Amino acid sequence: MVEAFAVASGKGGTGKTTSTLALGMALAERYDVTVIDADTGMANLLFHAGLDDADVTLHDLLVAERDVPVEDAVYDRFGMSVVPCGTSLAAFEAADPGRLREVVAELAADADVLLLDSPAALGSKSAVLPVVLADRVVVVLQPTVPSLSDGLKVQEYARSYGTETAGVLFNRVRPDEDVEAISEQAARYFGGTTLASVPESDAVRAARRAGEPLLAHAPRDPAADAFHEAAANLDVRTGDAGDVADRFRSAVVPDRP
Amino acid sequence: MVVDGQIPEGDLIRSRTDADVGDTLAGALDRELTGYVVFEPQGSILLGDDERAVLTFEAGVPVLAYHSASDTGGDNALDALSGSLFHAAMYELPPAALESAHRVEELAVAPTAPARRLADDAALADRTREVAPEDRLADERDTSTVEDFLADAERIEEIKAEARAEAQARADEWGLRGQLDGSE
Repeated sequence: MVEAFAVASGKGGTGKTTSTLALGMALAERYDVTVIDADTGMANLLFHAGLDDADVTLHDLLVAERDVPVEDAVYDRFGMSVVPCGTSLAAFEAADPGRLREVVAELAADADVLLLDSPAALGSKSAVLPVVLADRVVVVLQPTVPSLSDGLKVQEYARSYGTETAGVLFNRVRPDEDVEAISEQAARYFGGTTLASVPESDAVRAARRAGEPLLAHAPRDPAADAFHEAAANLDVRTGDAGDVADRFRSAVVPDRP
Repeated sequence: MVVDGQIPEGDLIRSRTDADVGDTLAGALDRELTGYVVFEPQGSILLGDDERAVLTFEAGVPVLAYHSASDTGGDNALDALSGSLFHAAMYELPPAALESAHRVEELAVAPTAPARRLADDAALADRTREVAPEDRLADERDTSTVEDFLADAERIEEIKAEARAEAQARADEWGLRGQLDGSE
C-alpha cells in the first residue's frame, strides 16, 4: 500500500522541511517511509538530513542523458529512505522536472508512505508538480494572516488538480498565540483535520545545525512530541502501489521549470 | 502637526479634490511612494475645520497616520478621518527625510490598516501585505487580527476563488490542463 503526500505551504519560513522530516520519522515507526526533496529549485532537505555530501541526488535522476539508477539517490537515514536534491543551479537547469513522475513511480513501489517536500511557491510548473502528483496534501501553516492566506491558495491549487487536503499542521507557534481558536475557525476553510500545533523551538535550529532531523536530535522536545501527535492524526489510506505508480507514470508533465 | 514638524515638506506630485481614498492608496502603492498624503475631507475647508490627516508611506506601504483636529495617531487617526471623498495631496520625499519620523511608534499603523479601515478593500490590503517588509508584518501575528481575517468568510472565498482561477489559467500555460480535476 502507498499514499503520496505533498507537504506544502505556499510561503517560505513555515518550517516545511523540518515538518516533512519530522512527520517522516514519526510515521516510520509504523510505515515504510520515503521522503523526497521535491523542491528542486531550492533544495535544503539534504542539510537537515546530514546528506550535504551526497554524491547522487534527485537532480542526477532528472537528467535524461545520465543513466543513474533510482536507488543510487536513495539514502537510508533515521529509519527512512531519503532522496535529497542537489543545490547546484547548473544541475537544476539541466534537470527535467518531467522525469520526477517516473522517479516517484519507481519509489512508490517500495514505500507505504511517500512524503514530497514541496517548493514554497506556486509560480512555476515544477513548483506545482508535487501537489499535482500527490494523493493528498499536508498544509503547513503559521497562525498569521499571510501564511493562512498562502495556505488557502495552495489548497485551492491542489484541489484544482483533484488533490484534497489530508490535514493542516500549525508550526512555529509562539507561546502567546492562541492556536486553538484560530484552528477551529480555520477548519471551516481547510479540508482534512488539524494534525497538531507545533511550538516554536530552539531545538529546531540546533537540529538543523547538527544536520539531523528534529526527532533524532531532540526526541524529547515539545516540538518533537507535537510532530508525533501530527503523525498519529494523519490517517494514511491504503492504496495499491501499482495504481500510484501508474498514476504517476501517466501524468502529463511539463517540460521545463 | 507632523507635516510641519518632523516631516519636511515634500514635492507635490499629485493633488485631487475628489479623491477616493482606496484609489489614492492604490496609487501610492503602484508608484511605490516614499512621502506622504494629506487627506482633507470635502467641506472641511469651507467649514473652517482643520480636519486634515497625514498618512506617510515608504515604498508604497503606509507607515504613520496623524489626525490634526483630534491630535491622534495610528489607528485612532484613521478612525477619526470620516467620509470617503477627500481632497488628497501626494508629496514625495527622499527616504532619509522620513527616517526619524518613522521611528515614532505612537503614530504607526499596520501596513494594511489604511486599506482595511479607510477603504474596506481586502484586495488592496492583500497587495499591500505582499510588498510590505517582513518585519512590518509582525503585528499580523496578533491573534485578533488572524481571527478577524478568518471571520471574514467573504474575503476567504475571494482568495480561494482567485487561486482557483489562477490555477486554471496557469494549467493551460504549463500544459497541465489534462491533469485538472474533472478534465477527463
